Amino acid sequence: MRKISALLTTVILMVALVGVVFAGGQQEGGMEAAADDDTIVIGHTANNVGIDSYQTTHDRVWRETVAAMDGVETVQLDAGGDVALQLSQVEDLIQQNVDVIAIWPVNGDALVPGARRAQEAGIPVIIVNSLIAEEGYEFVEGFAGPNTYQQGVNGAIAMIEALDGEGQVVDLMGLPGYVTAINRSGGFHDHIEENAPGIEIIATEPTDWNRAKATEVMENLLVRFGDEIDGVYVADDNVGIGALNAMREAGVAGDIVMTSACMFGEGYDAMEEGLLYSSNYQSPAEDAINAVEMAVAVANGEEVEFWNYFETPIVTMDNMDEFERPNF
Amino acid sequence: MNVKASQENGSGSGGDVLTASGSRAGSAVRSFFERQGLIVAFVVVVAFFSIASDRFLSITNIMLVLRQVSILGTIAIGMTLVIVAGNFDLSVGSLASLTAVVVISLHDVIGPIPAMIVTLLVGLASGAVAGILVGKLRLNSLIITLGFLAGLQAITLIYTGGRYSRIVAPEETWFGFIGRGFVFGIPMPVIILAILILAFSIILTRTVFGRHVISVGGNPVASRFSGIRDGNIIMLTFIISGGLTAVAGIMLGSRLMAAQNYLGQGYEFEVIAGVILGGTSLQGGEGNIFKAFIGILIIGILRNGFLLLGLPYYFQWVAQWVIVVGVVWLDVASKRGKLLA
Amino acid sequence: MKRLISFFRRQPIWAILLGIIVITSLFRPDFLAVGNLLNILVQSAVNGMLAIGMTYLMINGYFALSVGTVMGFTAALTIGLQPLSIPVAVIIAIAAGAGIGAINGFFVAKAKVNAFVVTLGSFIGVRGLIYIYTGENALVGQNYDFFDFGASRVLGVPTLFLIMLAFAIIGEFGLRRTAHGRRTYAIGGNVEAAENAGIPVHRTVFLNFVLCGATAAIGGVLLAARLNAATPGLGWPDTNLMTIATVVLGGTSLTGGSGSVTRTLGGLLTLGVLYNVLNLFNVQSYYNLLLTGLVLILVVYVDSSLKTKRQQTFR
Repeated sequence: MRKISALLTTVILMVALVGVVFAGGQQEGGMEAAADDDTIVIGHTANNVGIDSYQTTHDRVWRETVAAMDGVETVQLDAGGDVALQLSQVEDLIQQNVDVIAIWPVNGDALVPGARRAQEAGIPVIIVNSLIAEEGYEFVEGFAGPNTYQQGVNGAIAMIEALDGEGQVVDLMGLPGYVTAINRSGGFHDHIEENAPGIEIIATEPTDWNRAKATEVMENLLVRFGDEIDGVYVADDNVGIGALNAMREAGVAGDIVMTSACMFGEGYDAMEEGLLYSSNYQSPAEDAINAVEMAVAVANGEEVEFWNYFETPIVTMDNMDEFERPNF
Repeated sequence: MNVKASQENGSGSGGDVLTASGSRAGSAVRSFFERQGLIVAFVVVVAFFSIASDRFLSITNIMLVLRQVSILGTIAIGMTLVIVAGNFDLSVGSLASLTAVVVISLHDVIGPIPAMIVTLLVGLASGAVAGILVGKLRLNSLIITLGFLAGLQAITLIYTGGRYSRIVAPEETWFGFIGRGFVFGIPMPVIILAILILAFSIILTRTVFGRHVISVGGNPVASRFSGIRDGNIIMLTFIISGGLTAVAGIMLGSRLMAAQNYLGQGYEFEVIAGVILGGTSLQGGEGNIFKAFIGILIIGILRNGFLLLGLPYYFQWVAQWVIVVGVVWLDVASKRGKLLA
Repeated sequence: MKRLISFFRRQPIWAILLGIIVITSLFRPDFLAVGNLLNILVQSAVNGMLAIGMTYLMINGYFALSVGTVMGFTAALTIGLQPLSIPVAVIIAIAAGAGIGAINGFFVAKAKVNAFVVTLGSFIGVRGLIYIYTGENALVGQNYDFFDFGASRVLGVPTLFLIMLAFAIIGEFGLRRTAHGRRTYAIGGNVEAAENAGIPVHRTVFLNFVLCGATAAIGGVLLAARLNAATPGLGWPDTNLMTIATVVLGGTSLTGGSGSVTRTLGGLLTLGVLYNVLNLFNVQSYYNLLLTGLVLILVVYVDSSLKTKRQQTFR
């Protein structure tokens, strides 16, 4: 008898558990049941919504944009940085027969088979924010996002200007293997090598987009190279603030030039204090809206450009007044 | 500062109250080697990096490494107590993330001191729940704390909605001093860590509570028969672990004046590796807080050292594997007198 | 009918699975769509492989924390060694996994180092090996045949799932019908009694670690087939969490000495269904994590309260 009551308790608890999770987790803008034929359903699987504020804002604006549109709905899935999970999510979206699949790749190489599968199933795919590998271009309708390679180039241009073409710099990368990180770093390296023989990149270290890690890495680099470091290039302002923490504690905050590939709110503040030389203005809101518009267009069967970059203008201390402080 | 946990009878090898070790000379030799395993590893690692890089032994670098390990070191104190009592706590990484996020997000809302108090309460509460499940209900600590690892991380994400938290005006608050300040040239977190190590070493070795923790870990049945309420003891170790993790979370938040959701991810592995390296036996009943700190220090030195040498960061993981398994093996081998069983 | 009820009583996980499927289908009939069910199957193939070896170890009374990165490493090897020919790459990958399992097994069985330490060490160390091998980059398969194989179906059922199922059947057979299986149970139940009965404890434990490494390796091969790529981050940090949750949910006892691959299969399918259901209802992903955590805690609680008092006095 005890076993049966224990079993019964288990089943009841599990059902209650799942029920609570449902109640808590239901999202807006999603499907309650199979959508009728007039509604466009976008299936969106994002890299890792909880990893930083940019991604979170992107996700929020995406939903708000869709909610404001008539006849459009979105299924928001979060891959949590897991490539296998993202593939599963693509499969699930195919199964749910959405009208278009929008993917922010966890990894541009690993996504190629998933994109191929979607194409075979007859569902168009667009890539959002971070590129898919070249082999995958033939399976997707296009890309909507920032030109991250160009951002790296911008960072290099600013660095050359700030250092007058001479000096030693370190590169604090994002997440190893991730296309955005690779492009931002690659653009920087390429441009420096081609245009500034007087500048040497003495170290390149990953930070996983994590501010604490960035602080630690910068600290260690400062010990290793001391005052040989003239400039630091960071993959985004979040990493930059981490590096700044380390530089502040070492007392070299104003002496080392910092250029960044992507602006965050705190980077804007740092730029006002003169601690950040340049960054690129990349609004997650614009990013999301740009992508949603492309997704809807594709779902409607319209012709679209393959490359749908949105502007990420360079911001420096001179022109920063033209820009609003980012709210993330 | 050489405070060691005195060992009751037995070497903690799974419940032998009566020691069966050989002659007195034999056991003296054995315990000499026990201590040496960790120290040898420490000396080797320090020597290696000092020779390989001239910046390694600079004051700046030493202070740097000490500050970098102070977060993990604080967590390791609580972890040592939990392991000595015979359990694991895999939730510390997620709890560190949660507490850092809580203190930062509440700082601007209710002020630094109330925020810190709430954060401590969160840590203690988490420890209490885990402690009740493991101590009172006697559930398997590995699985329970694994569940907490997932659950606490989820709570962090749900609480912040994925956004990261930050303090709007870092210059206008004294809160940053905890993580960034210096006292007589020594980083504040290092001072906090030193105080905590001293305090808890004394607690573990010289108080009744400490002796009970060791006894419960070494032989729970015998402890119960001698009237020790082992369920309460275990629960207390988890509460302490939760509280100390909250302190670490506060130090972390103060260091960065901001908090991302996955800040503490993976901490549990590094902390446990360090504690094990420090000679705390996973069977329970044996442990030394200061040595656990040395274990954490070695791991921190590996990370710092490889970067100084310009070697890829992932080499340190292989080094950790070799060192941790190697040192524990030598420890175990020296206790029984031979390499293989 | 009686046999069915008795089966459900012995392995309640299947009853829970059935319950969830029934309740979900009432609200969302599209859950029962063939395509959706097949998705669940293929998505659980990799984790299932890992769980088979882990089941053996847990019955034997041990945990392994290393399966996540072993899987990642073998996935990388499978893709990276493709130029040598796929069968060769697969064999090398499985050998590597078994090899790491052997290292672990040696330290646990022969050197008598605590299993937690040993597998934690290899968990971290193998992660380093992955990065050293891949150089921080993703490896992409050049051979689309391999990927097509990964996506293929036999009689409508995904091949990868069938492979995992085949190994599960072999695994269950091994537990019940071979001497090794019997010894595994015996040792897990009571080490001293097993020793006294003359059972070669060291050899059995060693073999189980090798098995765990080998199944994790096969899991890595399946993963590589599925993704046609391998990233350095595969298997870190949460894969172990899922594998342990799978085995524990199925009902294999935490103290060792009882359990079966069949139970683990039940846990596997239940978790797969649960996540699919959450997806279907558009629940925010953070709650998946919360659910995993709560499931673990709940299952341990129930597992413990179903035990006899006698077994509860020992840790």
